[in-house]
Amino acid sequence: MADPLLEVRDLSKRFASRAGRGPSPWVIQGLSFSVKEGEFLTIVGPSGAGKTTLLNMIAQIDTASGGEVRFQSEASPLNDPKALNPGLSCRIGYVTQEDNLLPWRTTLQNVLFPLEVQGRLTAETRARADLLMRAVGLADFEHHYPHELSGGMRKRASLIRTLVYDPPVILMDEPFGALDAQTRMQLQEDLLRLWNLGRKTIVFVTHDIAEAIALGDRTLVLSRAPAHIAGEHIITIPRPRDIRGIMTHPEFGALYQRIRAQVQ
Amino acid sequence: MTTLEHDRDGARLNGPAGVVRARANQLLVLVALFAIWQALSMKLGVYWVSSPWHVISRFSAGVAGGDLLRHASYTLAEAAAGFVIGALPAAALPLALRRLPAVTAVLDPLMVGGYGAPKLALAPLFILWFGIGIESKVALVAITVFFIVYFSALAGVRALDVKLVQMAQVMGASERDVARHIVFPGAVPYVFTGLRIAMPYSIGGAVIAELISANRGLGYLVQLGAMNFDTTGIFTALVMTTLIVFLGNWSVNAVERRLLRWRPPADLRMQAGS
Repeated sequence: MADPLLEVRDLSKRFASRAGRGPSPWVIQGLSFSVKEGEFLTIVGPSGAGKTTLLNMIAQIDTASGGEVRFQSEASPLNDPKALNPGLSCRIGYVTQEDNLLPWRTTLQNVLFPLEVQGRLTAETRARADLLMRAVGLADFEHHYPHELSGGMRKRASLIRTLVYDPPVILMDEPFGALDAQTRMQLQEDLLRLWNLGRKTIVFVTHDIAEAIALGDRTLVLSRAPAHIAGEHIITIPRPRDIRGIMTHPEFGALYQRIRAQVQ
Repeated sequence: MTTLEHDRDGARLNGPAGVVRARANQLLVLVALFAIWQALSMKLGVYWVSSPWHVISRFSAGVAGGDLLRHASYTLAEAAAGFVIGALPAAALPLALRRLPAVTAVLDPLMVGGYGAPKLALAPLFILWFGIGIESKVALVAITVFFIVYFSALAGVRALDVKLVQMAQVMGASERDVARHIVFPGAVPYVFTGLRIAMPYSIGGAVIAELISANRGLGYLVQLGAMNFDTTGIFTALVMTTLIVFLGNWSVNAVERRLLRWRPPADLRMQAGS
């Protein structure tokens, strides 16, 4: 078996304790898992389980208190805030919970932003951006500002803003959490379609078990804080999957029950 | 599409019909004020409070003769030069010092002191230093504008959304990209708040400096009117000053609208905040 693309080893996190108080409790303790290249990994856990903290550490915008994260077998120091390398030199993309679009840039300018700062704005990459804009139905809104878009459109824009520069690993932190059920399903379909085109490695965090099953090749269950891996489930439902009908798939019910029992 | 609904609501409140009604009401208030003024002048005598009619005829004569416009343009030039000289470094300084919080902390008491000190009291000093020409007025305006805009720009830099910065860094943005694409555009609305507040002060500062010592400008006209017991002359100069303030306001707003097209309309922002 090939080496995993991304490996989390014995990762721990506690936030700095405040003056006059005892030590802060551990948020994450002894958390290990790995992700293969091209794999769609979903992670479910109760709210407050440290899901965002975990992704922040992998994306290197937050320090770890112990353990390490390896990318292509290469470990990075995570204990020193000054040594952090956010995004690991554009190799780890991160779609955050909030869309974090720049309000002073139009949709297209937002999507082109990573290419611009990476100095990769060429006819070819622009064409790719155009393609992605059309694929998620934003072509007619390229000159709109974020406040003029609906929540679903903003999410799509923030999603393709990361896809456009093609990082080998993409982290997603409940990107569809705040949307209505209908929009969320559409976006899940969009995401699977886009993923099918490039087969990126994705680590997708959610509190929604059905979403984790519908999207993932494999689902990890996080325990309550201090978080560690409480269970692992291979999702054998064949692709391409029908998101809208996923709940009626014969394997869905049993999977859902097993995961449900572990998410507390 | 909630956005479109908001637009429609906005149109109902601020659409053409609403604007016309607001303008009509403003005109009504203006007419009422003129009526009160006229009544006062009839009761107390034109000698003390002049009258709208006297002021209007003096104003048109002054504009037609070019005299009033010449004095107004002196004042306007002083205010505009001081405004630019004060505002540019004030807006640039907090951006430049963003990565140097120690320097900002050292400057802080100086800035607070400078902000609080009554700048108009500096006018005699500036006249002593820079003479009674345009330089002393420009200096007074500049220092007044500087402190107001500095604190607005500082607030803008401090209101920076850390998540936007992290997002940009993950995407490969350098420190320079962050300053240029996130800190700077994010601070612009705050800078404009400062500019809008500072604008009337710049014209007021110029007029006050002229009051103390000058041989031209609207402040000089006020002073001249006072010496000659010419209330009409004083009021005429004040009306011109007010018109310049309107012009300044309009200019700042026009530039702001142009630069901040990305902002949601004010009524939408308030909904989002509530």
